[in-house]
Amino acid sequence: MTDEAPAHGPDVTDDPGDIDGEAVARATEHVRDELVRFARALRRAGASVPANAATTAARSLVVVGFSDEDRARAATRATLVTDPRDADEFERMFPEFWRRLTAGLGETGPAARWDDPPEGALAPLGGDPADGEDPEATDESESASESDDDTESTVAWRSSSLATHLDDRDDEPLAVSRYSPTGSRAPVEALPGFAEHDELGDAVEELTVALATLRGRAWDTAGDRHTDARRALRASVGTGGTVVSLPTRDRKRREVRATWLVDVSRSVLDTLDRGFLLDILGRSRTAWRDCRVFFFDEDLREVTSAFDDGTASGAAEALADAEAAWGGGTRIGGSLAELRTRTPDAVDNRTVVFVVSDGLEMGEVAALERELAWLSARAAAVVWCNPLAAAPGFEPTARGMAAALPFVAGPFAFAGPADVAELARQLRAQGTGGRVGYEYDPRREDA
Amino acid sequence: MPSRDDDTSETDEFDDVTEAEIRAAFDEQSYVADDEIVTTVLLALRLGRPLLIEGEPGAGKTELAKVLAGGFDAELVRLQCYEGLAAENALYEWNYTKQLLAVQAGEGGVAEGATSDTDDESVFSEPFLLERPLLQALRGEGRRVLLVDEVDRADEAFEALLLEVLSDFQVSVPELGTIAASTPPVVVVTSNRTRPLSDALKRRCLYLHVTPPSFEKEREILARKVPELHDAVAAELCGIVRRLREEPLRKPPGAAETIDWARAVATLRENGSEGTLSHAEVRRTLGAVLKEVEDVERVDDDLLDSLVEAARAAREAAES
Repeated sequence: MTDEAPAHGPDVTDDPGDIDGEAVARATEHVRDELVRFARALRRAGASVPANAATTAARSLVVVGFSDEDRARAATRATLVTDPRDADEFERMFPEFWRRLTAGLGETGPAARWDDPPEGALAPLGGDPADGEDPEATDESESASESDDDTESTVAWRSSSLATHLDDRDDEPLAVSRYSPTGSRAPVEALPGFAEHDELGDAVEELTVALATLRGRAWDTAGDRHTDARRALRASVGTGGTVVSLPTRDRKRREVRATWLVDVSRSVLDTLDRGFLLDILGRSRTAWRDCRVFFFDEDLREVTSAFDDGTASGAAEALADAEAAWGGGTRIGGSLAELRTRTPDAVDNRTVVFVVSDGLEMGEVAALERELAWLSARAAAVVWCNPLAAAPGFEPTARGMAAALPFVAGPFAFAGPADVAELARQLRAQGTGGRVGYEYDPRREDA
Repeated sequence: MPSRDDDTSETDEFDDVTEAEIRAAFDEQSYVADDEIVTTVLLALRLGRPLLIEGEPGAGKTELAKVLAGGFDAELVRLQCYEGLAAENALYEWNYTKQLLAVQAGEGGVAEGATSDTDDESVFSEPFLLERPLLQALRGEGRRVLLVDEVDRADEAFEALLLEVLSDFQVSVPELGTIAASTPPVVVVTSNRTRPLSDALKRRCLYLHVTPPSFEKEREILARKVPELHDAVAAELCGIVRRLREEPLRKPPGAAETIDWARAVATLRENGSEGTLSHAEVRRTLGAVLKEVEDVERVDDDLLDSLVEAARAAREAAES
């Protein structure tokens, strides 16, 4: 597999031998972690790194092996760098990446996962990497990390074993997170009724005001008052055509029309308080003039009527049904296509569409891009709410999330009432076309 | 066939290829490649991913695809991109003349055998299909290298078409159905970076940026490509080219221009003379390495002195 190249790397075992399965799993996880960390550091430095780059880099490393730094450098550069202007940044960071990678694969075993802050070039990686934006994390890797108490054990492994581990993922592309590393495995029970969350009630009220006064394109640059040319013209008739004053008109408050598209895949529901989710959906349905709710995972299902009785029981039942019906990966693009073909009337140019999802797309990213282009052109705005964005170190690197960025406002944190209040604040201040999203959340800086 | 976006499937024809084989193929074709190029090509072949090569014109991007095809006895299918390139030029089109003749023959009953071909379906069948490069590459047998050359010259709409082909290695011809490659070709996409390519295209490709060769590498290229030129003279040429690349030229010389120049000098010299390059010889042959009139005019007497001086220094360095 690794051809004839001489070994230059530090103490990396490339020879066949007795391989401890757990050690191989740990090594696999270590490689994946370091690649994600490296890709993220490059992105932070402004490099244009494709969303699936870490996955491709992992496969490339399997092909060239881990014993020769130069070959590994060429392999990772071919996958992580797509612009020659980023090459210098790559070269600056690669030695640190290689040091951490090989240290973890050498005699000392993988470096501690997250309690070992990187140094040097990879230092500004942004807090706890377990922020949900690790696009390579899988059920398997998570369980491995949970059971990995012995980081001192020696790691003996070979790249072919690692190759098997990584190649086994062909059916589950590494770029796609199957499970959120942020959330708890313990299911969160839905509340028995719409809770009397005063904080959430206030937040929804603020959101309602923000949505009702959302600026259209004409108001984006003109502030809240416009010159009323029609009235000025009418008034000029009485003065012989001379305009003696410029009447203005205020921006009208509109009734709120919205559509919620809620990803009910396991990765979302395990990171999101279901009570909060059902509560805000119910309140939206009640407070807004027109509010439709859809659940999606592999498929799309309208559940608007479940929120009509003012209690959470129907909604909780609908949610439970959806969970029972769908067990596979999330197909956001496919679900949006169903929305377009089956219920196109759910979206018009006065409707604000809220997408609640972690963006872990299991379908084709190209299809997602296509559907989001349609949705963003048709709706008044598409606001993406990501439960994972509440984590301080969140970056939108999941495939679907990265692909969605050009088409949506956000992503916004969406884990509790405070996030809804912040969403409302940003929408009121900037509208949906401005500098909004998790990056402009002041709480993130304080964290 | 699995989607190439997430890439998984490998190009069967090349899934066991080794670096040594790639180096041997390059050597056989007299292509000088550094380790990074070899490793990246290995990955492209083994992972079955398209290889996007960017770099200055003349840096050897197109040549790499040709060498790959030659070195592995593969058919080279080349699609030269240009502004306005459309699907019918890249993928397929119907032979309208042949269709018309077939229909007329059927109506007139001229050719008995053609009668059965004259209904609506039959004139949209294989005999009337004109394959263009992308379809040729998909339907071919055995090893194939698809070279999509200078993709940055084509419109973004063509890029979208290319994405469809590269994602699944299949195309849909409405009248015939879906045509899928039995074994995907090796795909090499080149770009001169005259415009940025889409992220979607980059996401599907491995990336290689080629820069003009170093002095030593360029000497090695000349030694292989123009063996009739004396090594000392080749070193002088490489020294001048290196000096020229420091000038703000409209089109800095690439490796291809250096080879052209070396051949020109070798042709004008007799019996592989090893004499030093003269001012007059450099001036007379400069058109082989500088392809813009403004660049040629830029070489005044002072710069010419500087170039010859660089040549002498390079010769001394090579001989020491």
